[in-house]
Amino acid sequence: MAPTATLDASDITEKARRDLLQLLEGVRGKKNLVIEKSLAGPVGLFVKFSTLQEYGVDKVFFLENNNVDSTQRNVIFLARGEKARQVQAIAEQIKRVRRESKQDHEFSIFWVPRRTLVSDQILEETGVLGEVNVAEFQMYFVPLEKTVLSLEMDDAFSDIYLRRDPTAIFLAARALMLLQKSQGLFPRILGKGENAKSLANMLLHMRAEEDIDASSDPSNAHVHSFDLTPSATIDNLIIIDREVDFPTVLLTQLTYEGLIDETFGIQNNQTEVDSSITGAAPSQPPPQQTSGANSQAPAVQPPAPSALKRKILLDSTDKLYTQLRDANFAIVGTLLSRVARRLQSDYDSRHKANQSINELREFVNKLPSYQAEQASLKIHISLADELKKVTNGDLFLRVLEVQQNLAAGADPSTVHEIIEELIARDCSLTTVLRLLCLESCVSGGLRQRDLEHFKRQVLQGYGYQHLLTFAALEKIGLLIPRVSAGAGAYLNPLANPSGAATVTDYNLVRKSLKLFVDDVNESEPNDIAYVFSGYAPLSVRLVQCILQKPYLAQLTNPRTAPAANSQPSTATASGNWKGFEDVLARIKGPTVDEVQKGHNAAASQARKTLQGSGGGQVKTSIVFFLGGVTFAEIAALRYIDGQLGEKRRLIVATTSMIKGDTAVGAGMEGRSFKMR
Amino acid sequence: MSKPTADWERVGDRFYRKTQLYTSVFNPELELENYVVTGAPYSGAVALYRDEGKIYTYRGNQAAKSTIDIHSCAGKLIRQIPWDKGRIKALGWSEDERLLVVTDDGIVRGYADLQGDFTPFSLGHGAEEHGVQACKFWSTGFVALLGNNSVVAVTRYEEPRPQLLASAPPGEVVSWTVIPPEYTSSRSVEVLLAIGKTVYVVDAAECEDRSLEAGPFRHISVSPNGKFIALYTEDSKVWVISSDFQDRFSEYESKVKTPPKDLQWCGNNAVVLAWEDELHLIGPNGAASKFYYDSFMHLLPDIDGIRVLTGDVCDFLQKVPDPTEEVFRLGSTSPASVLLDALEQLEKKSPKADDDIQLIKANLDEAVDVCVRAAGQEYSIHRQKQLLKAASFGKSVLDLYNSDDFVDMTEALRVLNAVRFYEVGIPLSYDQYIRLTPERLMQRLVNRQEYLLALKVSEYLHLPVDRIYVHWARQKVRSSSTDEESICEEIVRKLDGKRGISFEEVARAAYDEGRGKLATELLEHEPRAGKQVPLLLSVGEESIALDKAIESGDTDLVFFVLLNLKKKIPLSSFFRTINSRPVATSIVESSAIDQDRELLKDLYYQDDRRIDGSNLLVSEALSAPDMGAATDKLKMAAKLLRDSKEFAPQVAALEDAQKLTRFQEAFEKDLTERYVGLSVNETMSKLIKAGNMKRALKVQTEFKVPEKTYWWVRLRALVSRRDWRELEEMSKGRKSPIGWEPFYDEILSAGNTKIASLYIPKCTTLTVGERIEMWLKCGMVAKAGEEALKAKDRNALEELRKQASGPALLDVERMITQLQKGR
Repeated sequence: MAPTATLDASDITEKARRDLLQLLEGVRGKKNLVIEKSLAGPVGLFVKFSTLQEYGVDKVFFLENNNVDSTQRNVIFLARGEKARQVQAIAEQIKRVRRESKQDHEFSIFWVPRRTLVSDQILEETGVLGEVNVAEFQMYFVPLEKTVLSLEMDDAFSDIYLRRDPTAIFLAARALMLLQKSQGLFPRILGKGENAKSLANMLLHMRAEEDIDASSDPSNAHVHSFDLTPSATIDNLIIIDREVDFPTVLLTQLTYEGLIDETFGIQNNQTEVDSSITGAAPSQPPPQQTSGANSQAPAVQPPAPSALKRKILLDSTDKLYTQLRDANFAIVGTLLSRVARRLQSDYDSRHKANQSINELREFVNKLPSYQAEQASLKIHISLADELKKVTNGDLFLRVLEVQQNLAAGADPSTVHEIIEELIARDCSLTTVLRLLCLESCVSGGLRQRDLEHFKRQVLQGYGYQHLLTFAALEKIGLLIPRVSAGAGAYLNPLANPSGAATVTDYNLVRKSLKLFVDDVNESEPNDIAYVFSGYAPLSVRLVQCILQKPYLAQLTNPRTAPAANSQPSTATASGNWKGFEDVLARIKGPTVDEVQKGHNAAASQARKTLQGSGGGQVKTSIVFFLGGVTFAEIAALRYIDGQLGEKRRLIVATTSMIKGDTAVGAGMEGRSFKMR
Repeated sequence: MSKPTADWERVGDRFYRKTQLYTSVFNPELELENYVVTGAPYSGAVALYRDEGKIYTYRGNQAAKSTIDIHSCAGKLIRQIPWDKGRIKALGWSEDERLLVVTDDGIVRGYADLQGDFTPFSLGHGAEEHGVQACKFWSTGFVALLGNNSVVAVTRYEEPRPQLLASAPPGEVVSWTVIPPEYTSSRSVEVLLAIGKTVYVVDAAECEDRSLEAGPFRHISVSPNGKFIALYTEDSKVWVISSDFQDRFSEYESKVKTPPKDLQWCGNNAVVLAWEDELHLIGPNGAASKFYYDSFMHLLPDIDGIRVLTGDVCDFLQKVPDPTEEVFRLGSTSPASVLLDALEQLEKKSPKADDDIQLIKANLDEAVDVCVRAAGQEYSIHRQKQLLKAASFGKSVLDLYNSDDFVDMTEALRVLNAVRFYEVGIPLSYDQYIRLTPERLMQRLVNRQEYLLALKVSEYLHLPVDRIYVHWARQKVRSSSTDEESICEEIVRKLDGKRGISFEEVARAAYDEGRGKLATELLEHEPRAGKQVPLLLSVGEESIALDKAIESGDTDLVFFVLLNLKKKIPLSSFFRTINSRPVATSIVESSAIDQDRELLKDLYYQDDRRIDGSNLLVSEALSAPDMGAATDKLKMAAKLLRDSKEFAPQVAALEDAQKLTRFQEAFEKDLTERYVGLSVNETMSKLIKAGNMKRALKVQTEFKVPEKTYWWVRLRALVSRRDWRELEEMSKGRKSPIGWEPFYDEILSAGNTKIASLYIPKCTTLTVGERIEMWLKCGMVAKAGEEALKAKDRNALEELRKQASGPALLDVERMITQLQKGR
């Protein structure tokens, strides 16, 4: 475990895979696996169902279905142990199986990512602790891509912002701590937002405790050598609290990948679409069909839905998709036809006269890759077609109009009429709420009168159960009444003792960070704003404040550009907020900037020297989105990564993927006053 | 100085040596034959207890008291455990020197680190009824054989889970043994049971008969590396076979009538047969050698040899290690042997030294290596020095030589010699030391309270020393009789500023000793907030525990404290406690939503969070089993908020919700259709679809639905029921609050171009171009043309001409000419 090795996502995947299989191997003989639904997807990313079978897994059940049977002596539960509800469910099922079955069973529980005191206590109280083998499956980050790490905690958003339960933050800190253990300390931790602050504090805290833990745990003999020194490969960690930038989530993503997520949804790199759109899956089962995600075995779910739905794997193994995913949807059609033409001409080349045998052989060798590309082309053309239908729809355009107006800073009252119309037309509630929340977020809350008006409309249009929805959205901070008295507070940052604004002054920030770019070029992007056709996500602008100071300075204030350019680029080497303190003070939440130094300055120095003073070294910045990240933001960050050149690498890490529907959905009441 | 080969014994083509480790080990009065003796692996401590099956001389009351005595290999008493807890059936050690005592009722007591109190667990699986017969231990677990021939395995001592293995056939178990999991192909423990004439192999899944014929086997033993099995047959032969029962390697006939009392492995290639005072060492191919002792002896097998313990001596019997044999064997001409000779010549100042060096010049580096390795195998410090000197001499002649091995060996030997000293009594061989690792050796020193030695060695080897300090402090807390303040002061003074000290462990020791106050004081020095929590809970400092848990950021800890707190104190003070701590409150709320709604209600009531309380009732209304109950809950929800003006809109909404259900129930009665559960807009829509305009209007006025919304609902409802007549009627209307465009759009998308077109002329706010487009969408080119003509748009007409066909084409052409004329 060399602390100087560069961060490699495949190591993480490999380790998770090995750990899980080792745990499975530890249980002798055939076994039934009961898995929590939200874990099935992530686990499916690194281990196939067929592999599980090789390790003795007979059937897979979902914990939520409560239907594990007693066909195998060994029963294994794989679940997260942080919430009492999950633990209770497992205890109940163990009791049920024990009651119903005639034979003796061996129960094992693998807690993800750690065994908790609470789980032990609950198991003890329910009287099953004595009879289960408890182990930990330390799965924290799951790489979705080489440069995208996710904790895949689906509940993180609602936990952090609605329930104010910091579990997700703590686990994120644990995960980052593990990264530090293998990579060395993050030399600098930067961040913005209340929760970013607590995450940074936890990291500092954990680091202080690390020494003691390492040496007082005799089983961890190898950690003794871990004297934390700053990493030579990672430059900084940038924590973005989702709360700092809700609008970006609420806007409709306009990149290809973003639109697929908005329309069909992407879960663990897979989207599920009607097979009438793409045609049925090829006769041989595609890899994702056998993966753990879809491993619910015939016993668990009727096969009916899979006949109508087809799962499509969306990741960088699909070469074509890699070119398309981050492009603005407006140009996807052009890209597709270009590829189609190239394929055609490549294919036609076989008709060329007097080919030699060698040339023919070469052509035949390439055939499989042609076919793969062609198949992928076919899928993406039909997907794009379907998306086109959506984007050309009247409703979509209406919604987009509202969004663009709000993002550009137009007077919100101009869009009220459209929102009312959408409610009257029974447009989906999430869409309506996204617009209302967007208005609230960019203008520091809705006017009390407007808010009451819209509440009434929504309650009448969608049912009175949404009283709870509004309460929840207010708790999250997505839809709040404007506090007129507090309006003065952010004009004078000194008035606030903590020095942190409580509401973002969007009008000012929009201007100082140029959040809206009018002359955006979608086909040849010249700014990150292309991902929303004009709006530049604040979260990514914040990252630019650290990594692309000269560019941003020039963009926001062309006159000072020469001065900014004359600065040597090394000035930004370790990254800080310098130059943007004023605008940061107007953005909600405290600003984080912590430097981490090693205990032993000499050792750090030595390591640096060994690394050749960073001369040819690729420097990595990790951008951690606490509370979720959208595909559009990832696209923007990938764009920046391209701009930064070879010497610097961006890695996106997050608690989970998110989109507007999930954010708003966290607060939505799902039940209604139905007659029972 | 005796010759190095004096203790050597030839067995077949190998040499074995017997090294005397310690003399006058035990009190001469101790009758060792009456004791059960077992030793910890890696030359660890030895436990003795009196075998109750044997008679012994009566020595008054005092001696009748039963104890388990733990001694070092040199006989030093480390600890005496008074025993009154039932019949001991087995005594064993784990790799980390945990003593395990198994009584016949299936209770296992583990005594960790030679000092502490025991932690018990029960074997279960019928151990209580059938009784434990015997146990076999390996480095990290053991297997117990019960009276009914069931076998129960325990594979770890942290959270032990006794596991019942497959059942063996009935019959007397003549002898048995286990193959540790690390050496079996299945990676789970295998038990070999000699029953009747054969041997059964039992693991978790099955019991397999190996179909042997030569039984019953009086003894069965597995070699330290798990590859071989030694069996003692009925006709007093020793067989050595492979552990998969496939190959037979050798056979030896002892020719002794009395069966031996023990059969053990000595390393991996020799077997020892022991009678009371006679010992046969059987090497490969049945070669053997005999040893005799003056008194009764016990065998303590280890990984690379066997210790022989009598009342007087402790010997180590092992195969002579290869480098040692190479150097010392009589007549050896190996380079290493020559090098040693060269050293002797050098010490005699004889020129032959150089001749020797010249002789082995080509293999000198190898000679140095062998001497270094041979030094490691020596117990005599004199010979260690000789060999190292020889190596040093040899290496001085070499131009290039990497001295790392040499340096490491000198370090290791210093440590080994220190711990072999009789007062410490750990006669580790070099191989054992390497396998044990220096870290675990430190643990053993600390367990023997050899703190100073442990510190010295740790500093010498650059090992962390925090464990040593902590152990010292814990021992201090347990045994010191001075007042608590000075103990605390002394400990803090000694430990402060040392890296990585865990005060929590010291505090826990104090707490276990019943010194609660001292524990709390010590705990304050613990830098890790989270670690303090469990102990704080134990000493009853719940609110400090809660604060520390919050400080640690670990929500699991917070939740854990809260669960304990809630059980312990009245609800009102529980709420008071969490009230001032927002994190605690959110965690309580977050878990109570799933688990305990009543608690949540009380919490909201106590904190006067009315809106939350009201919302909780709304949520309950949503899950209510019937509408009546739901309405009651809604009423209660409204009541909570009624007396405050700021909640007026909320109250109004709650009342509207009740009103809506009343309306809907009435509709259901009149129209025998489901309405309950729909929203206001959906209700109106459904009424219109069913043709109940009047009722829909009633809903609109009752709930003050805005005119625009109502029109939209009506339009969509009418379109969906294809009520073209009504829609045609509406097109004659003068004004629409939502304009006429939506009518066109909705009707067109429903596919009725005729009705849709009726609305085109009404869209007066649109441009001509847009209207032309609308006509075209309805397929009415002529109408589009008229529109263009009205606007006198020549270009548009030309465009239309291209699209038109049939009569429409004529129309358009006519219009073009009309336009030309008009100019």
